[in-house]
Order: sequence, then structure tokens, then C-alpha cells
Amino acid sequence: MTKMEKISSSSVISRRSFVIGTAASGIVLGYASLPGGASFAQGAAKFEPSVWYSIGVDGKVTVVSGKAEMGQHVASTMAQLIAEELEADWKNLKIVFPTNDPKYNDPLLGAQITGGSWSTRFNFDAMCRAGAAGRITLIQAGATMMNVPESECTARNSQVMHRSGKKLTYAQIVAGGKANKTWTPDELKAITLKTKDQYRLIGQAVAQLDIPPKADGTAKFGIDGFVPGMLYGALALPPVRYGATVKSVDDTDAKKVKGFVKAVTLEDKTATTTGWVVAVASDYTAAKMAAAALKITYDKGPNANVSDQTILDEAKRLQKDPDAGLPFVQAGDAAGAMGSAAKVLEAEYTTSINIHAPLEPMNALAEEKGGLWHIYTGNQFPTRTGGIAAAALGVDPKTVVMHNSFLGGGFGRRLDADMVIPAVLAAKAVGKPVKVIYTREDDMAVDFTRPLTYQKVKAGLDQSGKLVALLHDVVCAWPTARWGIPDFLTPSADKKGSLDGFAVNGADFWYTVPNHSVRTVLNELAQKATPSGQLRSVAPGWTFWAVESMIDELAAAAGKDPVDFRLAMLDGAGANAVGAKRLANALRTAVGRSGYGVQPLPRNHGIGVACVSSQDRASATWTACAAEVEVEPTGKFKLNKLSIAMDMGTAVNPDGVRAQIEGSAMWGVSIALYEQAHIKDGALQVANFDTYTPLRMSQMPELDISIIANGGAPSGCGEPAVTVVAPAIANAIFNAVGARVRSLPITAEAVKAAMKT
Amino acid sequence: MITLNINGKTHSVDTPDDTPLLWVTREQLQMTGTKFGCGAGLCGACTVHLNGEAVRSCQTSVKQAATGKITTIEGLGGKHPLQKAWIAEQVPQCGYCQSGQIMQAAALLAKTTSPTKEQVIEHMDGNLCRCMTYGRIQRAVLRAAADMRSEKGA
Repeated sequence: MTKMEKISSSSVISRRSFVIGTAASGIVLGYASLPGGASFAQGAAKFEPSVWYSIGVDGKVTVVSGKAEMGQHVASTMAQLIAEELEADWKNLKIVFPTNDPKYNDPLLGAQITGGSWSTRFNFDAMCRAGAAGRITLIQAGATMMNVPESECTARNSQVMHRSGKKLTYAQIVAGGKANKTWTPDELKAITLKTKDQYRLIGQAVAQLDIPPKADGTAKFGIDGFVPGMLYGALALPPVRYGATVKSVDDTDAKKVKGFVKAVTLEDKTATTTGWVVAVASDYTAAKMAAAALKITYDKGPNANVSDQTILDEAKRLQKDPDAGLPFVQAGDAAGAMGSAAKVLEAEYTTSINIHAPLEPMNALAEEKGGLWHIYTGNQFPTRTGGIAAAALGVDPKTVVMHNSFLGGGFGRRLDADMVIPAVLAAKAVGKPVKVIYTREDDMAVDFTRPLTYQKVKAGLDQSGKLVALLHDVVCAWPTARWGIPDFLTPSADKKGSLDGFAVNGADFWYTVPNHSVRTVLNELAQKATPSGQLRSVAPGWTFWAVESMIDELAAAAGKDPVDFRLAMLDGAGANAVGAKRLANALRTAVGRSGYGVQPLPRNHGIGVACVSSQDRASATWTACAAEVEVEPTGKFKLNKLSIAMDMGTAVNPDGVRAQIEGSAMWGVSIALYEQAHIKDGALQVANFDTYTPLRMSQMPELDISIIANGGAPSGCGEPAVTVVAPAIANAIFNAVGARVRSLPITAEAVKAAMKT
Repeated sequence: MITLNINGKTHSVDTPDDTPLLWVTREQLQMTGTKFGCGAGLCGACTVHLNGEAVRSCQTSVKQAATGKITTIEGLGGKHPLQKAWIAEQVPQCGYCQSGQIMQAAALLAKTTSPTKEQVIEHMDGNLCRCMTYGRIQRAVLRAAADMRSEKGA
């Protein structure tokens, strides 16, 4: 990690932890009063050196993962970090998930939140220190029990060994009751951690702890929650995504459904939902039938005429308004330099609305018991979601206990809190526990979408074909601003306002461009009509689409090879030191693996490249892709192969990293080619997996992955590949047939149309 | 009352004839390994076996299901070669679709002992994996098929 990186990332962190941490510290809850408290180890005797794990008398190490497990194997990664320093035998590790008790907050973010590809990076140090503290304590206790000097003992494979050959297992030491030191933060900080060459587990592809229960059906997801006496809720949704109000509900026909209990119109004080009604019944099938039988009249509200076209028209109007938006990057004088450029290119790039559609539809089970509200659901942001539930109920946030479980897909969708609203309000209305399950159609209709984005890029080349000026405008809904957490906003480049970095990051790339301006503009119309969310990779999913397409267009205009053109700008000058060079190496690796330029490709075949620093500059992962396509004269094309290289510094579990790259690369393909949602008359035009069609097995291209881990802090690997694939494919199509496409998803029609021009 | 034979055990359930097997299995009988994904037979998360054939339990009424033997992921026993292969290949990510994937694959391997990659793709293409673990699913099915062949040969 470079010095500069370290400073910028810690400043981001402390800014976040300050505000969220302050808010969270107000909710030191009634958790301790819960039966069994928040203690996870079985049996009376145990050793709990940290909130993050305990060791039982059986020697089992139970790791409490404050990170939501939605397929990244992150809980297992936390366990791997602890086990490394604890010198625990991997087969003794188990994982459990906590409540929203603030003591399980991310040590740097100051909240329980899982996203941003941050988890391993932000928790690496804390987990290692927690593990080391346990090891040191166990060695001390073991030495005492064996009556030998501590300095003559070492720990390995869940045992403390004296140089004489005497040894005790961790189980024996814990049972002995002498391992009970509590560590202060200062003592933890003073521990000397292992150096890279001493690692035994980090860097090893140990078996992920969450996988066995997912192979035999025993893994429990939010939807698998049950409490005695619970009822079921099904949604009746309004005909617009956001802004409707219920005028009347006629439940005459619903009452004819056996098991129907009540129709509850949600009075949602948090405004997370609008115009929702929940039909409560004794079982889910009855609840669905009753919901369908309700006759509801609505005021459709202010967004009933919003469509893709009105959002795009508004975006174009805003882009033309010089006073709109805020500057995100201001380097040099881009407008001035443009005036003296030898050649100027201008292009518009768009991306469609996309939805998350995790395979487990949204759901939540809510129960009020003993003055506490218990909510069972899989969630990425329990700190906020519990707060939203409390606000909807009008109760003290301290009395809302979120019970996390495995998440049947997150992808950012479960950062949101909407699913708890119908559960708690229905449970309150009927005085019984209620489990609400969205149908697939509901889940799609109320998704917090990846917004429709519009970007205008203007670029100037000098006489020698060097990029000297770049003006980049990004217009869309702002995913994170919607949360109303000021700490998640970023000061604008001119310090005159706050912007949503999650709408524009990535545009502050690592190429050296002397005059570079990026402006980010909130599209209020889109924001209101289709509240946008964080969809896997968020802004870099669209900003790099524009940047990496335009870079390719510029290379062509300058008559240069697109790889050489990029490498020349990745010179590592000034603020781009180190990072740009790592990105250049990732690019060289991907390109080399693809066989680019080795021999002429068959006719209508092409290789396109792209390289990205997703997710943001402070926690960049260096990712490059070479895509190989073949394009038919009809515009139909086939993606044959992706070669992806990623430098994430340290790969804690290389197979886990590989799995994340596989999944995110295919997610990138899916968004580039197969997924698209529309809005019409204020409603998302999606229903089920027949109209919204993520990639299937038969559509997979060949995939070649290179993991570069030359050391340094581990950065995230679950999102960056999403962002690099689409521009690489578009650039490959251009390389194959000279057709430039600028809209996602890429369609055969668009390719055909571009071939004509 | 409808009588269902699930994993060799008989269950009597009080539910209308047209109730999808999925909801009875999951919510009434609380055998939650079978998952709800789409309710329309489009994703395969709810796949179970009815008389050895892979069916979508969201599209199978309890009345239809009562005619035969139902096997769910719980009935596979945990030691099925596919389940071992799923762990060996480290297939699941979020894991939500995987019960359905395994049940779908089990129906293939029960009849086709040496499937080609193309046959695997054709048989598995109706099962969505939103985490896109398809490459590993393919490898695991082929590994399990090989393991089953060598077990038989041994």
C-alpha cells in the first residue's frame, strides 16, 4: 500500500466512523437482557478474548461475523484471519451471525454494514489482532498449567507446545479456566502481528465454512425463519414504483379466502414504501390469494407519467445546464485546453435501469415479545435497517433486535430496509408475529434499481494524439444520498456542496490527463420516481463504461493501439503514483493472457480491452479485461472469452477470490448483454425471470483469471470485475467490425446500426 | 386432508388441492431446504423429485404430488456424490439456488451416468444462479458423475 493511499483511505474511514459511530453509540441496547445474551459459545466454561470469537471447552472456535454472508464467503474470511494469528486448526472453526448489537459494528465503519468490497480490507487488522490476543493468552495459560516458562512455549494447530515436548490442546487450556484475560484497545494495538512470510493460513485456499450447509439444504436464510403462532403477509402493491397513496381498500372478496385475517394499509412514517397494503392470513398461499382479491383505489401521485424517455430527456436538459450539479474532479483547465486541442471527440453513453433480483425474494419476520421487536431477515445494513423499523413503529431503536442469517443474494439489494416495514407494521396491526414474503413480481416491481444513467464525455487530443483535456458529465439518480446519512456524502471538488460519490466514483481514474473535469448531476426526476440503490459495483459500473469506451474511441482517433494508448497514460505521475503502475501491470497481464496481437484474428473477430480501479480511489482494486468476440454481419455477436487480471494486494483465500471474480465477471456479462428494465407510467416494467433475464449457464463465455497478489493491503474482489467487462466487450466489437456502441445493454440491433454508420 | 410421501415419510396436510407443493413443504412441514425463487417455474430453486423426475414444486399442486414419491434436498442424505462434489468444487456462493441445482443434477445422473458437458448445460439451463456459479456447477456435476461411475466399478 502506498503512503498516499493509506492516508486517503483512513481519512475516508474516520469521516464515516465519526458520524455513524456517534449515532450507533446511542443505541447500547437491551441486547444484554436477551436470553443467553449475545454469547455464542456453548457450555459454561469458555474463553472469549474478543467480541469476534470464543473458544469452547471442546476447542471449537466460534467466530461471530459482523459481515453479512451473501456468497462472498466473508464470514469464512474473517475466521481465516482470526485463525491465522490464533494458530487454530481450521477444522475447529465455526461461524455465526450476530444481532445488530453495536458491539459487532465494523471497527472502522462504526456500523454493521456489508458492501463496497470493503470487508476484508477494513477488518483485516482487527481480526488478526483479535486472533493474536487469543493466542498470547492461551500460551500464557498453557505455560502456567504446564508449569513451564511462557517464553519456551509456542502455539500451532490449536495446541500450546513446550520445547520439552509437553503440550496442551486449546480445549484443555480453556477447560482449565485460566485463559481469561481481557484485552484493552491499547494492548491490542501493541501486539506485533505476523509478517507475510509467517502466514500459514492467509493465502491458502481453505474450505469455506459456509459451504457445507449450502450443499445439504440446512443453511438457514431469512425466509426460513419461524416463530410460534406466526401469520403470513403478502403484498398488494400500487401501480407506480413510488409516490402513490391508498385511497380505499375493499376487502369483501379477500374475506372469502379461508384463513384471511386482515388487510393492513401501511402508514409508513419513514416513506420507504408508498401505497403498500399487506394481506395477512394464516398461510402464505391464502395471503397471496387475499392480496390479489383486494380492491384498492389509489392516488398515483406525482410520478405516474415517468418513463425511460422522460428520465433521459431530463438528464439531457440537466447536462446542458452549466449551473447544474457539482464538480467531482477539477484538474487543470479542461474547458480551456479543449479550445486549443487539435482534435475533439464528443459522445453520449447511457446505461439502462437494472434490478438486483437476488434469488431469495425480500422477506422479513417480525415479532414483538417482552417489550422488544425481533426481526428475522438477511440484511446487509442491520444498523440502519433496525433504525428504520424502529422509526416505522415509533419505538426506541434500542428495542429493535435484528437477527441476521445467510442472505440468499445481496448484491446491494439488502442494504435497504423496505422488507421490514410491511412485517413490523402488519405484526403490530394484528398483534401477532407476521412473516412477509415478496412474490418475485413484487420483488422486481419495488427494486431499488441501478439508475438509468446518462453521461456526456468530451475529449481533446493534441497534435501528437495525446489526451490533453477531458470533460465528463454524469447525470443520474444518486443511490446513497437517498439514505439521508450525511457521512456517506463527499465534499465536491470546489468544497461548495456535498455529492454522492457512489454516483460518480471511478470517473476519478488513474490515467494522467492534465486537464480533467468531472461533474456529477442529480436527476431529481429519476430519484423520485425510481429510488435507486446500490447494485453490485454501483457507480464504477457506469462511469467506467463511459471512460473506458471513450479511451478506446480516442485511441482509434489518434491512430494508436488501445493498449499502448492506455499504458502511456498510466505513467504513475504525481497523485497517480504506484496505483497507475499496478493498473498497467494488470492490463499487461490480461492482454498477455488473451493472446492479443500475437497473430491476426479471423475475420469479424476482435479483442477489446478495458482497465478499471473500482471501487474507489481510496480502496482501489486493479482490474483489467480483454474480451474476445465474433460479430456477424447481422449485428449478432458472440462473446467467446474473457481474460481478467486482478491485483487485490493480498488474496486471503485465493479460491474465494477466484469465485468472486468468476461470479462478478459473469454478472458483468449479464448486465452488458442480458439484463434491462424499463420504467413506464411510473412503474418498473418487470415481472419475473421471463422478462428480466439474467445470464444462464448456456450463455457463459470462456473465462481466464489471473490473480495478482504482490502484497499490500487486501482490497475487494467481489465487484470490480462487474465494471470492466462491458467496456471490454464494446471495445472488442469495435475492434472486430468498427461498430461503436454506447448504450448498455449492448444489443445486436445497436451493433448493426453502428456498422452502417 | 392430503397425504404426501416425502423422503420416505408420510405427512398428512390440511390444505386445498391446488396449493403448490413448495409452500406445503417449506412453510407447513418446515423442510426449508427447498427454496422459493420465482413461483413460475422459471428459476428452478424449488426443484424436487416426483417419482425420480425433477419437477418445480412451485408448479406442482399437492394433489399431483400426492400421487407419488417426493424427494427433497433433505432426502438426498448429505452424502450424495453430488453433495460431496459441490463441496469439493466449492460451488455455492450465496447458496440459495443450490438445493434446486443439486436436485436438478441428481435427476440427470440417475439416468445418464456419463453426461457430456453439453448435456449438463442443456439439463441445467433452466436453473438460475444469480451468483453465476455456473462454471463450478458444471465441474461438480461432471466430477460427481465420474465418482459415481468409479464407485459402481469398484
